[in-house]
Amino acid sequence: MAAKLTDFYKQAAQEFGLAGRIKLAMLTKISSEKAESAEDSPENIRVFEQALKQLRAAGG
Amino acid sequence: MKISTKLILFFCGVVTLFVLLAFALLAQTRTVSAGYDALLRQQVRQAESARVIQVGFKKQVQEWKDILLRGSAPADLDKYTRQFHEQESQVRSGAAALAADVQDAACRDLLNQFLAAHKILSDKYQAAYEAYVGGNFDFKGADKLVRGQDRPPTDLFDQVVQRLNDDVSASVSAQERAVTRARNLALAVSGGLLFGLGLVGFMTVSNILKRLGRLKAVSDRLAAADIEGLAVDISGPDEIGQFGDSMKGVHAAIEELSKLAAAAAA
Repeated sequence: MAAKLTDFYKQAAQEFGLAGRIKLAMLTKISSEKAESAEDSPENIRVFEQALKQLRAAGG
Repeated sequence: MKISTKLILFFCGVVTLFVLLAFALLAQTRTVSAGYDALLRQQVRQAESARVIQVGFKKQVQEWKDILLRGSAPADLDKYTRQFHEQESQVRSGAAALAADVQDAACRDLLNQFLAAHKILSDKYQAAYEAYVGGNFDFKGADKLVRGQDRPPTDLFDQVVQRLNDDVSASVSAQERAVTRARNLALAVSGGLLFGLGLVGFMTVSNILKRLGRLKAVSDRLAAADIEGLAVDISGPDEIGQFGDSMKGVHAAIEELSKLAAAAAA
């Protein structure tokens, strides 16, 4: 269970709505369903942080 | 490595190979040309000189016969005697020059033997000439003194000509063998390089087409929204890998969209 990765999806939904979730999936190449079963590895966390940062910079 | 880099490298490889082959062929042509030039400068020229001396010696003997046949007329005697000595001198100087020029020791030895025999023959001709002029132009008596005496030097010189001709033939054969060897080597090396380059090109194109085929299959399924069990396993540092990576993003986005749609419908 990748709690941290799932949290990234929650954050994206809170900040940018459904479009934010879809864009996060596009940028990380990992859908929320797969994020649930993926590992909270440092690499995955780095990718999600980077994607969220990119979303914020673009304004969603 | 990017496909564009691979293609540029392949193109450069082909161009380099053909430039190298052109230089190799040029060098080979120069070598062959130099070989034949050397052959013409030495062996062929010597064989030609030998043939000229051989003809000159036959002319000298002919002049002697003209002296005997027509020497009773003073003008003819002067004319044929002068021509006889001219031929004699040319044959001797030519043979001496050829003996100094030839590399083959056996041929040089034959030429020296010819020169010695020619000198003896000249002395005999002189004695016969004096007997002819002093003996009231008795050509039969003079002829008896030198009859058949030109055979030994003629045979010796025939051997010289034969040896020099054989030498030319052997050099031409050696040259032909060298050309054949060089040609076979050039064919083998260029064939090997072309085969290697062709193999690399074929493998590169084959790999690109195979991965493009997989990419198209993924694209077709995404276009049909058929993402159930779809795995985008196309990676690599080239343009196809980058495209495959983008496809993964699109795939994940469609999965997310499908999940949200399913949640909204529930």
